[in-house]
Amino acid sequence: MPEVGGPGPHPLVGRQRHLVVFLRASTIVAFVLAVGGLILPGRAGTVAGTLLVATLIGVPLVRVAWLCLRWIRRGDVRFALTAGGLLAIVAVGALTAL
Amino acid sequence: MISVPSLVLLAVATATAGTLGGFGGAVLLVPILVLSGVEPSVAAPLGLVSVAAGSLAAAPSQLANGLVHHRLGITMEITASAAAITAAMASAHVPGAALQVVLALVALAAGLVGLSHAEMRNVAMPEFSGEPPAEWPGTLDGAYVGPGGVIPYRARHVGPGLVAMAVAGVVTGLSGVGGGFVKTPAMRELMYIPMKVAAATSTFTVAVTAASALVVVAGQGRIVVHDAAAVGLGGLVGGIVGSRIQDRISPARLRRALAITLILVAVVLVVQV
Repeated sequence: MPEVGGPGPHPLVGRQRHLVVFLRASTIVAFVLAVGGLILPGRAGTVAGTLLVATLIGVPLVRVAWLCLRWIRRGDVRFALTAGGLLAIVAVGALTAL
Repeated sequence: MISVPSLVLLAVATATAGTLGGFGGAVLLVPILVLSGVEPSVAAPLGLVSVAAGSLAAAPSQLANGLVHHRLGITMEITASAAAITAAMASAHVPGAALQVVLALVALAAGLVGLSHAEMRNVAMPEFSGEPPAEWPGTLDGAYVGPGGVIPYRARHVGPGLVAMAVAGVVTGLSGVGGGFVKTPAMRELMYIPMKVAAATSTFTVAVTAASALVVVAGQGRIVVHDAAAVGLGGLVGGIVGSRIQDRISPARLRRALAITLILVAVVLVVQV
C-alpha cells in the first residue's frame, strides 16, 4: 500500500515515460490520419478521417485505463475504482448513444 | 459552409491563439464557425475535435514536466463526463437559436474569466526542497516546482469543485467548447490548486470530456468526417505551434486581447439570433 497523505516512495517525474511515449506516438498518428483525411480521395479519405476521430476519442480513454491498471498494481484502490467508474460512465454513454 | 483550406487555417489560428491565451482553441473556433453560417449543431462536434486534438498536442510536454495531477483530474472527470454525455444527448433536441445563445453565454463567460487576475496562493516551502514535483499517491495533494522552489499543495472544497466540473461538462456537451475556462479557475479559486497544475490537469481532463461527448455525437451521426480531419489537423498544428512560441510573447496581453474578442463575439452572436 502507498503511504497516504505524503510524498510517494519514488515519485520521480520520469516514471510515466511510457505514457509520454504513447502520447507522442498518438500525436504523430493523429497528424498522419488528419492529413490522410484531407488529401486521400474517396473512401480512403473517409476511413482516415474516421480513424482520426476514433484516435481522438480513444487516446484519453486509454490513458485513463492505463492509470487505472497502474493504481491497481500499486494498491491505490480508491483512485483505481474512480478511474474504472469514469470508464464505465463513458461506456454507458456510448451504448446509450448507439 | 466554409471551405476546407479556410477551415484548416481557422483551426490553426484559433488553436494557436487559444493555447497561448489559455482558453483552448474551440472557444474561439465554434463561435466563428457559427458566425460564418455553420449550424451550431454541426459546429459543436468540430469544436470537440479541436479540443481533443489540442489537448493531445499539449499532453506529452505537460506530462513530462510533472504538472498533471491525474488523480485530481480523474476524480473531477466523474461529474464532468457524466454531464457532458447527458448534455450532448440533449443538444440534438435543442433548437439552433437556443444553442447560439448558449454559445454566446459561454463566450461571454470565457471572456470575463480571461479578464480576471489570478493570485499566487501557494508558496515554496524549504522543507519540501528535496521532493520531486509530482502528485502524492492515495491523495489529491502534491508538489510542483514554482517561484522560489518546491511548492506543496492540497486540494480543498472537492464537493463544490465537482459541481463546477459538471457545469463545465454541460458547456462542452451543449456547445462543443472545451470547459477549460471553467475548470482551471474552479480548481484555482475553489480548490486552491496552483495555476500551473490546474491548467495542465485541465488540459488532460478536457480531452476526456471531449471524448465522452464525441462518442455521443458520433453515435448521433453529427460528425462531418472531412471537416473533422481539417479541424483535427488545425488543432494539432495550432496546439504545437502555440506551446512552442508561448515563451516569446506576453501571454497576459494576448489573454486580455482574446478575452475582449470573446466578449465582442458574444455580443454579435446574441444580436444575430
